[in-house]
Amino acid sequence: MIPISYNVRSLLVRKTTTLATAGGIALVVFVLAAALMLSSGVKKTLVAGGRDDNAIVLRKGSGNELSSSIESNTVSLILAAPGVKKDDTGAPLGSGEVIVVIAQEKLGAKPGQVSNILVRGVAENVLKLRPEARLVAGRSPKPGTDECLIGKGIAGNFRGMSLGEKFELKKNRPVEVVGVFEAGGSSFESEVWVNVETARTSFGREGLVSSVTVRLESPAKLDAFKANVSTDKQLQLEAKRETTYYEEQSQGTALFIAGMGWVVSVFCAFGAMLGAMNTMFAAVAQRKREVGTLRALGFSKFSILSSFVLESTVLAVVGGLIGLGASLLLSFARVSMMNFATWQEVSFSFSPTPRLLIGSLVAGALMGILGGFLPALKAARTSPIEAMRG
Amino acid sequence: MSETTNGKSDIIALNKVGKTFWRGKERLDVLQELDLTMKEGSFEALMGPSGSGKSTLLNLIAGLDVPSSGSLRVAGVELSQMSEGDRAGFRAANIGFVFQTYNLLPVLTALENVELPLLLAKLPAAERRKRAQTALKVVGLEDRMSHYPRQLSGGQEQRVTIARAIVSDPKIIVADEPTGDLDRHAANEILNLLGKLNTEFNKTIVMVTHDPAAAERASICHRLDKGALAL
Ligand SMILES: Nc1ncnc2c1ncn2[C@@H]1O[C@H](COP(=O)(O)OP(=O)(O)OP(=O)(O)O)[C@@H](O)[C@H]1O
Ligand SMILES: [Mg+2]
Repeated sequence: MIPISYNVRSLLVRKTTTLATAGGIALVVFVLAAALMLSSGVKKTLVAGGRDDNAIVLRKGSGNELSSSIESNTVSLILAAPGVKKDDTGAPLGSGEVIVVIAQEKLGAKPGQVSNILVRGVAENVLKLRPEARLVAGRSPKPGTDECLIGKGIAGNFRGMSLGEKFELKKNRPVEVVGVFEAGGSSFESEVWVNVETARTSFGREGLVSSVTVRLESPAKLDAFKANVSTDKQLQLEAKRETTYYEEQSQGTALFIAGMGWVVSVFCAFGAMLGAMNTMFAAVAQRKREVGTLRALGFSKFSILSSFVLESTVLAVVGGLIGLGASLLLSFARVSMMNFATWQEVSFSFSPTPRLLIGSLVAGALMGILGGFLPALKAARTSPIEAMRG
Repeated sequence: MSETTNGKSDIIALNKVGKTFWRGKERLDVLQELDLTMKEGSFEALMGPSGSGKSTLLNLIAGLDVPSSGSLRVAGVELSQMSEGDRAGFRAANIGFVFQTYNLLPVLTALENVELPLLLAKLPAAERRKRAQTALKVVGLEDRMSHYPRQLSGGQEQRVTIARAIVSDPKIIVADEPTGDLDRHAANEILNLLGKLNTEFNKTIVMVTHDPAAAERASICHRLDKGALAL
């Protein structure tokens, strides 16, 4: 076999072309890795909202909280099911919640531009049910009032949504922001939490809740709880572990971003591949006599072919590493985006995983292999007589 | 290989060899019904005017190309029907090449260039290195092993090429105008070296040259004119 040092040094001789070509591949790998990192970031953020000792109950087949509705009078039945944890006072830890989406004017954007905000009608014990949510400013709402909490992800970013301000939940139904909470970077941080009754009456949901969330005595109690909740076929209920629920919710958005990333990358990849092909064709033409000499010395067509494919692959891997390096810088950035499961704005970060980094690099290497193949084939076809031509 | 009176066998034997090139519809009979034999261990020169077919003939002997007609046995192998892949193996095993333009790989050092043919044999790296060093010593370049071709003079480059040609110990060395790009002094050094390979290492040498002084060094000189041997 022709030593790889021959290829590496040949690439170094043509520094500028090598760098330009590697740059094209770097760009593609950057775009792909960035999209996959964002996709994994979305998943991470949405799943962070769930606890594995919480269970969520929805109407069977509803898919998510927004489209689910459960009669209020079954809430107590659900809370009485086995496996549900009791608080210090002996009351079951859990509550029915009402979820609605409102459009709210975004600050700092074009005037009149609105975004969707998810409003969660919650019980008083919400902070006990979700201990990862913590007040960072203000206080808890007084029971039975039109006061609300907002997540720190939306605080200050929407009209009326800052501590001490008021906004209209619905026309002529103002609520006052009395506290801001954080929730471990999860999508709760992009929600408004109001009293469940306030939500019900504002949106005509009297007698209904969207979902019921309960704390289990332990994660292992899920099966018992689930079995009990689904026994009464008439109630048409379905229980899931909260983490499972959020993972399912993130699937669509995560897949969409990853899919977009792949589509854009595939388009760019064509350009980068043509660039690599062009560079390698030039290299082959330039080294016609060298290749002829190798053939005259007895190197097979196959060894010439593999040598040039290898050269192109080395080129692509160098580009890929540059692209990966650049994409890793994005882990310091955050983006605000729509979560398609709830049509709510959520802010996400780029979250690298070893698997996606390796995948992007492999995609880069593949561009080198594919782009280098035709030029390598041409090189392999070089006649050994080329060595003899003066 | 046919035995002859002086006991040495023919290492190269051409029987009615013809070579035709087509340039579009125009037929070019470059070699016609050529009969030629060369003995093992001989040093033979091919001379003749430009375009007479010297390089074409040398390429056939070296297994770089196949004749259009006739038969051609080199080192005991019939080459005229051999596939391209088999000829590559034949060249690696039997032929050492010396080119007018040296043809060293510019990104490899002298030593690495000389090692190249050994990569085709299954040898341990240390053994390859040792043999390449020995070959470079034979051509007197033991102090230039780590130099790149651009750091060598033309004469030195050609000596590296000769080291590369002998490193795998082939029976035959083919040289197409080996001194064509060199001045008299460097040319003489190269010719001395080829002479030494012939007498000390018993290599069969086939050399194409325009230079009568170079042809002098050969024991036999064949003259080619319009694709046929002249007397
Ligand atoms: N691949 C080819 N296709 C077409 N014609 C060729 C080819 N190779 C050689 N010829 C022709 O064959 C003839 C002999 O060429 P060759 O190279 O053997 O000559 P030569 O004796 O080596 O000449 P020189 O002394 O100039 O090197 C020339 O007319 C040349 O144009
Ligand atoms: Mg010639």
